[in-house]
Amino acid sequence: MQKKAKKEIGKEIITTTDVTKFFGNFQALKGISAKVYEQEVVVVFGPSGSGKSTFIRTLNRLEPHDSGTIIVDGVELNDDVKNLQYVRSNVGMVFQQFNLFPHLSVLRNITLGPQKVKGLKRSEAEDIAMDLLKRVGIPEQAHKFPSQLSGGQQQRLAIARALAMQPKIMLFDEPTSALDPEMIKEVLEVMTELAESGMTMICVTHEMGFAREVADRFLFFDEGLIVEEGTPEHFFTNPQEERTKLFLSQIL
Amino acid sequence: MHKIIKWSFETFFGSIFNTLITLISLVIFFFLINSIIGFIANSEWELVRVNRRLLLIGRMPPEHEWRIWPILWISSYLVFSSISAWASPSKKDLLLISIGIFIVCLIFTTSATFIFVISSLLICIVSYGISYFVCKNIHNNYYKKFLITSWILLLPIIFAILLLGDGPKPTLWGGFLLNIILACVAIGFGFPLGVLFAIGRASSLPAIKVTCTVYIETIRGAPLVAWLLLAWFVLPKFLPEFWGINNISVVIRAMIILSAFTSAYTAEVIRGGLQSIPKGQLEAADSLNFGFITKMLLIILPQAIRVVIPALISTFIGVFKDTSLVFILALTDLLQVGRIIPEQSPEFFGRQLEALCVVAFLFWIISISLSSLSKKVERSLGIGIR
Repeated sequence: MQKKAKKEIGKEIITTTDVTKFFGNFQALKGISAKVYEQEVVVVFGPSGSGKSTFIRTLNRLEPHDSGTIIVDGVELNDDVKNLQYVRSNVGMVFQQFNLFPHLSVLRNITLGPQKVKGLKRSEAEDIAMDLLKRVGIPEQAHKFPSQLSGGQQQRLAIARALAMQPKIMLFDEPTSALDPEMIKEVLEVMTELAESGMTMICVTHEMGFAREVADRFLFFDEGLIVEEGTPEHFFTNPQEERTKLFLSQIL
Repeated sequence: MHKIIKWSFETFFGSIFNTLITLISLVIFFFLINSIIGFIANSEWELVRVNRRLLLIGRMPPEHEWRIWPILWISSYLVFSSISAWASPSKKDLLLISIGIFIVCLIFTTSATFIFVISSLLICIVSYGISYFVCKNIHNNYYKKFLITSWILLLPIIFAILLLGDGPKPTLWGGFLLNIILACVAIGFGFPLGVLFAIGRASSLPAIKVTCTVYIETIRGAPLVAWLLLAWFVLPKFLPEFWGINNISVVIRAMIILSAFTSAYTAEVIRGGLQSIPKGQLEAADSLNFGFITKMLLIILPQAIRVVIPALISTFIGVFKDTSLVFILALTDLLQVGRIIPEQSPEFFGRQLEALCVVAFLFWIISISLSSLSKKVERSLGIGIR
């Protein structure tokens, strides 16, 4: 419990109110209202198809929502391009499939954003990149290409790439689901260190052990709705809803 | 030695089936050799030797012939510097290139042009050497950037050399020179245009998408010969008489049509490449807040083009050979020269095969160079390996 004393949960940084999302006739989100606070780590879990990935993808408008409001760091996400750019420059995302740029070296994957979007000089960008590579534990891979790295190293590179833009919020969409078991640990270690350093994180994950250690709050999704939310202890000792109990019994 | 004999015996005569195939192959083989030797013994290479100038530069007047040499020098310099700077050729590659150049020089050098050819060869070797040492020892990119700028300026420079000082009108350009210039213009303008149309066709804005689709499908709807005739006959009737539009040289019109044609086909090839990019790449670029142009230029297009390089080079080789179709506009390109030589003088009447052999050889040299370039580019980009 000591590690949580270091960070201070701050003010509201993400507010979603009654967010719905349709894919054709299928309603993926049926009215999500949630709040995320600064420096908080929120873990989103639930059965597949429950809308958890869709939800976090609406937070940086990779999926535009159909109704309701989403406010990120005081800015509303709508069709306004300026708003979108502000939100995207403050929200970083890590994907299940890594989505690294295969034709660029490891270093260039990281420096491209700061150089081209933030206008940093090449040397500055490279310094930031090397620091991040050290932070995630792969400084010696700087001049290789992503396909030459193992899955765990690739995901750590993806995290470093997102961090290079110095976001206020990090979104993780099942970051370890595509990894072999022996590589999951190294990625979770990076995410744990990130959480302890005070980053606001929203993770969709099935790694309950990690979630229990690191998360401040859980959100349980099922069929497009938040069924239950609360602290990790609440979920593991005293879940209220039937669906929550059913799901937990299957995965624990 | 014994092993080889034993292996041969087993492979060629091992079973009845193998023996049959061997005998049939031997018959075909001897028949071919007989025909080829007969052809070589009876052929009159004299007609090629006499008409070398015609084959290479067409009906350009002799007083303007001097313009060819600066063009050859600059081109040799650029080609060999680029080979050294980027291609890192192996000894085998260098040997093949040297043999190819040697054969071409052997065929086309006359006593009058001897000095110029030798000087061009010297420039080839010297520029290769300079580029080699510069790129090896000086570790910045200035020389390579200089080379890239030179390549971009090459076409304007060639036009300047050919036209300045009351140069020969473009309709007099002919032979191999014409094919090369047309192909360079067609590819040089067609490729970037094709990229733009490919992106436009994949766009979500209906106006842009429809325009690009209509453009591509219209051009692909008619054969190139038809489009060239259109430029020649129909355009003057439709366009109003201003800016002397109807007096635009036929060669310029051919260049415009060829560029448009190349752009349509290139657009489709690249659109295929664009479709092969996983959606995740776009999502990653979006989540990093990349602008549209940055996203396209640095992430999407490099990946899309790498994937379709074989199809792209195929298209370019096709375009180079399609430049022969300008004969329909009364331009004497290489193939046309090869066809009319035997009809020019009575002594060479009916000797089509020799001239066409040389024409085919010249076309083949360029096509094989483009293919090798394609292989080199693929290898250096690591396609299929990483």
